[in-house]
Amino acid sequence: MKILTKITIGLATASLLLVGCSSMNTQTQAKAKKSVVVKPTAKTNAMGMGYIKDVDLLNDDVSLPTVAYHAAPPGAAKKIKRAYQDAPPMIPHSVEGLVPITKNNNACLGCHMPDVAKAMGATPIPISHFTNFRPKTEVEGTEILKNGHVIKNGSSESQKNVSIKVNHKENKLYPGRFNCTQCHAPQATNKLVDQSTFKPVYTAPNGASKSSWNQSKWMKDINTQKSE
Amino acid sequence: MSLSRREFLKSSAAASAAAAIGMSVPAELEANAKVAESKWRWDKAACRFCGTGCGIMLATTGDGKDRKIVAVKGDPAAPVNRGLNCIKGYFNAKIMYGADRLTQPLLRMDEKGNFDKHGKFAPISWERAYDEMEKNIRKALKESGPEGVGVFASGQYTIMEGYAAQKMMKGGFRSNAFDPNARHCMASAVVGFYQTFGIDEPSGCYDDIELTDTIVTWGSNMAEMHPILWSRVTDRKLSDPDNVKVVNIQTYTHRTCDLGDFNIIFRPNTDLALWNYLAREIVYNHPEAIDWDFIKKNIIFAVGPVNIGYGFRRAGEKSITPVRPDGSAGKYDAKEMEIYNKEMSKVVSELEGPALEPYGYKAGDTMKNIPGTLKHHEITFEDYKKSLAPYTLEYTANLCKGDPEESLDSFKKKLQDLAALYVEDGRKIVSFWTMGMNQHTRGSWDNTLAYNVHFLVNKQSRPGAGAYSLTGQPSACGTAREVGTFAHRLPADMMVKNPHHRAKVEKKWEIPAGTLNPVGNQHIMKIHRDIEDGLIKFAWVNVCNAYQDSANAKHWIKAAREMDNFIVTSDGYPGISSMVSDLILPSAMIYEKWGAYGNAERRSQHWRQQVLPVGHAMSDTWQWVELSKRFTVDDLWGPYTLRNGTKLADVRQEAYKMGYKPDTTMYEILYGNERAKKQYPLALDKFPQQGYDNSECLGDARNVVGTDGKVFKGYGFMIHQYLWEEYAFFGRGHGHDLADFVTYQKVRGLKWPVVNGKETSWRFNVDFDPYAMKHAKEAGTGSQYAFYGPLAKKLPFGDLTHVTDKTKKSLANKAKIFARPYMDPPEMPDEEYNLWLCTGRVLEHWHSGTMTMRVPELYRAVPEALVYMNPETAKERGLEDGKLCWVESRRGKVKARVETRGRNRPPKPLVFVPWFDERVFINKVTLDQTCPMSKQTDYKKCAVKIYKV
Repeated sequence: MKILTKITIGLATASLLLVGCSSMNTQTQAKAKKSVVVKPTAKTNAMGMGYIKDVDLLNDDVSLPTVAYHAAPPGAAKKIKRAYQDAPPMIPHSVEGLVPITKNNNACLGCHMPDVAKAMGATPIPISHFTNFRPKTEVEGTEILKNGHVIKNGSSESQKNVSIKVNHKENKLYPGRFNCTQCHAPQATNKLVDQSTFKPVYTAPNGASKSSWNQSKWMKDINTQKSE
Repeated sequence: MSLSRREFLKSSAAASAAAAIGMSVPAELEANAKVAESKWRWDKAACRFCGTGCGIMLATTGDGKDRKIVAVKGDPAAPVNRGLNCIKGYFNAKIMYGADRLTQPLLRMDEKGNFDKHGKFAPISWERAYDEMEKNIRKALKESGPEGVGVFASGQYTIMEGYAAQKMMKGGFRSNAFDPNARHCMASAVVGFYQTFGIDEPSGCYDDIELTDTIVTWGSNMAEMHPILWSRVTDRKLSDPDNVKVVNIQTYTHRTCDLGDFNIIFRPNTDLALWNYLAREIVYNHPEAIDWDFIKKNIIFAVGPVNIGYGFRRAGEKSITPVRPDGSAGKYDAKEMEIYNKEMSKVVSELEGPALEPYGYKAGDTMKNIPGTLKHHEITFEDYKKSLAPYTLEYTANLCKGDPEESLDSFKKKLQDLAALYVEDGRKIVSFWTMGMNQHTRGSWDNTLAYNVHFLVNKQSRPGAGAYSLTGQPSACGTAREVGTFAHRLPADMMVKNPHHRAKVEKKWEIPAGTLNPVGNQHIMKIHRDIEDGLIKFAWVNVCNAYQDSANAKHWIKAAREMDNFIVTSDGYPGISSMVSDLILPSAMIYEKWGAYGNAERRSQHWRQQVLPVGHAMSDTWQWVELSKRFTVDDLWGPYTLRNGTKLADVRQEAYKMGYKPDTTMYEILYGNERAKKQYPLALDKFPQQGYDNSECLGDARNVVGTDGKVFKGYGFMIHQYLWEEYAFFGRGHGHDLADFVTYQKVRGLKWPVVNGKETSWRFNVDFDPYAMKHAKEAGTGSQYAFYGPLAKKLPFGDLTHVTDKTKKSLANKAKIFARPYMDPPEMPDEEYNLWLCTGRVLEHWHSGTMTMRVPELYRAVPEALVYMNPETAKERGLEDGKLCWVESRRGKVKARVETRGRNRPPKPLVFVPWFDERVFINKVTLDQTCPMSKQTDYKKCAVKIYKV
């Protein structure tokens, strides 16, 4: 303990010296430099801007907010409203012991697969996650094939090349959606650093809690060349 | 049936409130909500964030100023991501709507309203802001010449913004003190491409993921940093788990490792040795795996000097002068100088000694360093083979093993298994890397070493096989590299030092011959250092956060705040760079302007302006174009002498001959010229302009009062299209071909070169690349490949240490394999600073967090930067999870919370701290070491100590 205090004092002295010799903070040094009008600046952040407000950027002793996450275990948590219609829902429960997701173990699926979700009180994984939009990609000789068709550009025949393969049995997740934490994250209960002026518009009656992004919508509005 | 705005709000609010409390909604209201959606306008756009370059569909609704983004979905038609985004991608919907958006220019002023460097920020008009900018630029030019005007540019500029900035900086101000944050992220990759292929950017494309059998990641946490590419890798792996192998080669365990068949945890910087080990395995132990026919036709061997320092300041530079008896020097204290002194000379360590022996050094020797150089010369295969000799399994395993808890035998077995995957006949393999190999004190070497291994076994530039550099930023490729917003570059891989390239650009820009400055050495760290030295008097931060993102940040902040200079930041939100500045300009954010980005598979993607900017914010393109109106031919095109003695000619007479007058403005020459107005008129009744806002060209409903004090009514021609087409001119016919502006509005991007309307998926391979076909045909080699890049294609010859024949021999259409050793980084853990510090990103935040910290869901997902460490490391220091500790280096310290059970799981000797959090300002701790060839900062390693608060 004593040694630590000594080190800390030593460090404080060292940093004082550092400020003294390496900055233009003092009047004498300012005078030594011709044609430069330099006044001491106490703070680099003079207007309380940003989320660090009036913290001086050169001061190391910043106070950090305490962070707490929703602690309720799965099944006991209150769902968090979706950010907007069909936005990925955030995780309202503790993920302690449930992550990481590895190639051999994805604990999320245990409760969120549609066949068990209702019984578990979990949000069921929607149809979009059982759907593969990527055409099968192959190369034969000098040709590139998507879903067996030779293509010129992967992107210019967008409509034709969109391939929708839905696994209607809903028992095999599209593997590209296996990394749940890529879109869904637990949420701290902290006060926001800044409010948002974004206003959600839920177009489905239960849009704040359920995805409506299904077969009826996937291809809708995909043509962006039409005039308004 | 129409719905008034009031009714609309009522119905959607009721629907959402009802959903929140779980009651059913009356059918009538539900019908109204559907009508509301029918008023949504969906359009395609590119994601704002990483280099993956996903396509999104964006919904907006409302009229005029009130039109806002209401939703984002993955674009099923976008080839990159096919209907899926990551968490940041979805929250593009919210990034522009933080409550503290900058809405008007702010100037530091005294109580009387005069500029005061120590004053508080107060709102001013655009006109006043530009008066101050103009005054300070004139002052900087007078005191320091063009080298005194600097810009921190960006890999997040739209392509048109970057091109507009480039024109004014290089054509107008004749300044090459113009360098992007992409220097910090991609420069080593670029040197790798230039030295190996003679042309920038990857040979492969993302389809390689679906076509390969093996994915090896090197210094890349793709699961968090390129999540959609990782979802494609995951799809590939889980769809064929026995055949497809995933191996991750990292300095700590992270989410990417969770999918790995096996993971190799190595000591920082020793990836250089791992690549050389793989090459040695092939050359010495599996010579049958070498495709000699391919090598003979397509490859030469090369080497360059190894004593090139670490990109620090060199002795004699102003801010490290004088050197004092206590070891301190200028503005740097003795502890800092302990490391900086290695720039001039160093003692070869026991670790690197064996690796350096083929180059004439042994452990204990003093190595005198020259400044970083790109020079190299051809050598024989036998000499290359000699350079590999030290990397035996024994030496490599002992040097590289990064986790003390792992047994040497286990580590050795992994190395052998890895080599077997690269060697296996017929196995397709892709090596992906990102910042681990680029942000590296020998990053340029590391990049070339990757191609070596792929070339030796002929697994490069083929579908499903290749070494693949992933870019970090959304347009590091599209803007920074392709437009050439670097100190030394011009569009389409042209260089400022090349007189033919300058002449070509001068001709196209219709500026006098001799205008462009041939000296391009003010890379981004040099800009900071030149400010600290008092040379740069005016600096402008564009679409980046130069005062949060640069290593050893305290020095640059002090220089900005305490010296006689004028710093301007244009931004959407007030970040650290804004706080440090003298003037802040409010910028339109991504979907508030027309734009284009280029991603890491050479895909260029355009979008239209979706909504009007907030407040008085205007785009960076507009800000540059407006600045050009303040300067005339006579203001800028007189004679200058640069600090190295180079003279820039007085080109005014030449300008008059071209028909310009002394008071012709740069606007009239560079932007609003006759050809632009004539060739790119507005076409408001046609796709793509019909129905879309265009604040630069038309002005908009906000009636922003512009830089001349009058309401801005627009330029009156399609400036975005003009900038695009003029820029594209430089690459067409030279292997960088881009399609026309309108085509990109129709498609979900195209991979250049786009030849006869067709994109290119694999470059240098005659089966897929029309340029390879053309060059192979012309050369008559009959080869399957033509590595046709034109840079550094004539080399002298020598051995590993010397040039023996200075005659330069042509090596057209050939690529290079480089002999390059393992070397230590300049700062490694010692008794006092006994841990490695690695910094980087997290999935949920983008870079310095200015946007993502203002999205509630992203902020709450990761509200602060943690110190990720091994539980033993914490225990040994008496630290506990969730409690605070100090992270301290020779340069500075930060306070942060300990995490031993998180997503990042370092071995005992290493800690990881992400850099997005302003409160945990980790760049006060990092070291401004760079790859001396690429000048890219190494943020992935320095030495720290950690102790309880």
